[in-house]
Amino acid sequence: MKKTLTLCLITMVLSISIMGCAGEKDAGPEKQQNGTEGSVADGKEENAGSEEPIRVGCIQDTSGGASLAGQPNQWGAEYAVKVINENGGIHGRMIELYSRDCQNDAEVGVTCYRELVDEVGVCAIIGPPLSNPASAWVELSEEDQIPIVGHFMDEVCTTDPDTGEAYPYMFLAEPSCSVQSRILASYAMENLDVKSVATLFNSSNAYAAAHEAPFIDYIESNGGQVLARETFTWTDTDYTAQAQKIASLNPDAVLLCDYCNQMVTSYDNLRDAGYKGIILGANTMYPPFNELVKNDIEECYFVQNYDLNNGKIAELVGIQQKETGTDYPTSNVGFGWDAVQVLANAMMQASDPANGQEVRDILEADTREVESCGGSKITIDPATHRPTLDMGIYIATYDENKQVKCLEYITLEQ
Amino acid sequence: MSVQLLVSGISLGAVYALIAVGFAIVFSILKFSNFAHGGMISACAFMGFFFQRMFSSPPPFLITVLFSALCGVVLSLLIDTAAYRRIRAKQAPNIYYFLASITVAILIEQVLTVFFGKNLYGYPNIFKSTTFTIGGIRFSSMDTLILIISLVILSVLIYVINRTRIGLAIRAVAINPATSRLMGINSDRTILLVFVIAGALAGVSGVLLGAKYSVYPTLGSSMMMKGFLASVIGGLGSLGGAIAAAIALGMIEIILTYFFGALSIPVFLFGIMLVFLAVRPEGISGKFAKDKV
Repeated sequence: MKKTLTLCLITMVLSISIMGCAGEKDAGPEKQQNGTEGSVADGKEENAGSEEPIRVGCIQDTSGGASLAGQPNQWGAEYAVKVINENGGIHGRMIELYSRDCQNDAEVGVTCYRELVDEVGVCAIIGPPLSNPASAWVELSEEDQIPIVGHFMDEVCTTDPDTGEAYPYMFLAEPSCSVQSRILASYAMENLDVKSVATLFNSSNAYAAAHEAPFIDYIESNGGQVLARETFTWTDTDYTAQAQKIASLNPDAVLLCDYCNQMVTSYDNLRDAGYKGIILGANTMYPPFNELVKNDIEECYFVQNYDLNNGKIAELVGIQQKETGTDYPTSNVGFGWDAVQVLANAMMQASDPANGQEVRDILEADTREVESCGGSKITIDPATHRPTLDMGIYIATYDENKQVKCLEYITLEQ
Repeated sequence: MSVQLLVSGISLGAVYALIAVGFAIVFSILKFSNFAHGGMISACAFMGFFFQRMFSSPPPFLITVLFSALCGVVLSLLIDTAAYRRIRAKQAPNIYYFLASITVAILIEQVLTVFFGKNLYGYPNIFKSTTFTIGGIRFSSMDTLILIISLVILSVLIYVINRTRIGLAIRAVAINPATSRLMGINSDRTILLVFVIAGALAGVSGVLLGAKYSVYPTLGSSMMMKGFLASVIGGLGSLGGAIAAAIALGMIEIILTYFFGALSIPVFLFGIMLVFLAVRPEGISGKFAKDKV
C-alpha cells in the first residue's frame, strides 16, 4: 500500500512538473513577443497590442540526423521574427513563432504539422531544409490552406513530377537541388575541363538523390561521360569499396552530395583509395567539412548559397555563433532568415496576413525581389513556386588555410 | 585489386570487432545484449574530444584513450547502478535488461544531441599520412591501429578470463551466480568488474571511432548494428567468435559492395545472420548461450 501511495505521489509530482514545463514551452512565443515589445519601447506597443498576433509555425529537425542544419535554421527563423517584431511586426501585428522538431522523419513531421495547424492554429509554416518531411505536407497544406515556405530543395516538394504543375501551398526560398547541381556541373565542364565523372551518394537521401540525377543529366546532355554511380545507405558507415571502384576508374571528377558527415567519410575514403582527381560537392561541403576530413583538401569545389564573410549573412552568423556557441559559420542561419523574409513580404501585402489563401496567392504572384541575407534577390516563379533563375549560387573552394573561398557567383540564366 | 579488397575488408572488420567485443563481454556474464554500449561509445568519444581540446597542444593520443577509458568505466558503473542493479536484485527476466539497455542508449543519444547537436567535432589527425603502402597494397593507418588494438584487447581479455582467478570468478558467475556465491565468489563485485571492462572498452572504442570518423551523438549507435551482427554470428558471449565474425563481416561487406553495390548488403548480411540463427545459433564459436535477448 505504502509503495502504491509513493508511486502515485511520484507520478503526481512528475505530472505537475511536466505540465509546468509544457506550460512554459507553450508560453515561449508570447514571452519572446513581450520581450520584444518591451525592448522596442518606441510607441509601437499600443499598436502591437491592439490586434491578434499572427501565429506562424516553424518545423525543423533539431534532434535528428539533420539537426546540424535544423538548429541554425531554426535560429535564423526565430531571429528574423524577432527583428520583424522589433520593427513593428506585420502592420503592427506581432508574429508568434511556434517551433517544433520533426527529427528528419516524415511521420513525425506530419504530427508536428497537425499539432501546429489543429491545436496551435498557425496560419503559415516555415519549413525545414529537408525534402523527406516536406513532401509529406504537400496535400495537407492544400487541404488546410496553409502556405509553407522553406528550403526543401528537392523539386518534388514544390512541383508535381508528373505534370510539372506547382503545388499550391509549397514555396522554396533558394535555388533547387537541380539548379545547384546544374550550375556545379556547368562550372566543372567549362572551367575545370571535366569530361568524365562518377558519383558517390546515399540513394535513400532525397537531398542527395535530387542533386545527383540533374548533375548526371547535365553531364550526359553536354557530351560528358559517366563512369560510375556508386551508392550507399543510411546504415553504412564506410564507403571504402565504392571509393576503390571509383579510384580504379579514375574519372576527372567525383560528385559528393550528402549531409556533412557522409561527405567527410566519402572524401576521406576516396583519397585513401588513391583517387587524386577533382571532388565536387553540394552546399553541405561548407564548414565543418574542412575541420573534419583527415586528408588534405585539394581539388575540391562546391556550391555555396552565401558568401559567409560579407553582408547581412556575415552579421547573422556572427550573432548566431555568439548566442549558441556554434563553432563555425553555417549557411542554414540564412535559410531560416530568408524563408521568414519571403513569408513576411507576402503577409505585408495581404489585407489579412493570417489568411492562408490570400498569403498564398501573394506568395505565388507577388513575391518579387525580396532581399536575401546573401545580397541576392528572391523572386518566386509563379509556375514553379521556386526562385527564378536569376537567383544563383557561389562556386567555392578551400584555400591553403582550409578557409572557404568563393570563386564565382553563377546563375543558370548565364 | 582482390588483395586490396581483402585488406580493406579486414580493416573494416576491425572497426566492427571493437564494438562486438564490448557486446560479447557483457553478454558472456549477464546474458543480454547491452545496447547502451553504443550510447557509451558516443559519450566517451565526446569526453575524449573535449579532454584533448582542453590543452593548447593536444596531449599524446594514448593519454586521451586512457582518459576516455576511465570515463567509460565511470559511465558504465553509473548505468549499472541506475538501470541494471535493481533488475538484477529482483532477478527479473532478461527482457527487462534489454528494455533498460535500449532506454539508456536512446537517453544518452538524446542528451548528447541536446547539448552538442549543433556541432560536429573532429579529433586532430594522429597520423601524418592516412594510408601507407606495402607491396602495392594500401593500408589505412587508422584501421591498422584499430585492428592492432582490437587484437591486443582480445588477447588480454582471453588471458584474464582463462588464466587468472578473476577470470575464473567471471566464468563461474557466468554459469551460475547463485552457486558461485555459495562457493565464496562475490558475484555482485564480479558483475561490476565486467561493467568496468565494458566501460573501458567503450572508452577506447569512442576515441578510436571518433578519430577515424568524426564525433557526433549517433556515432556509437550507427555502428551498433554491425557490431551486434558480428556478436550474434560469432556466438553471443564469445570474444574470439565476435572478432572472427567481425573480420569476416567486414570482408564480406567490402567484396559484395564492390561487385553488387551497397543496396544488396543488408539483404546478404541479415540473410547470413538468419541462417546462423536457424542452423547454428551458437555461432562460429560453437558455445551455446541459453538466454539470447
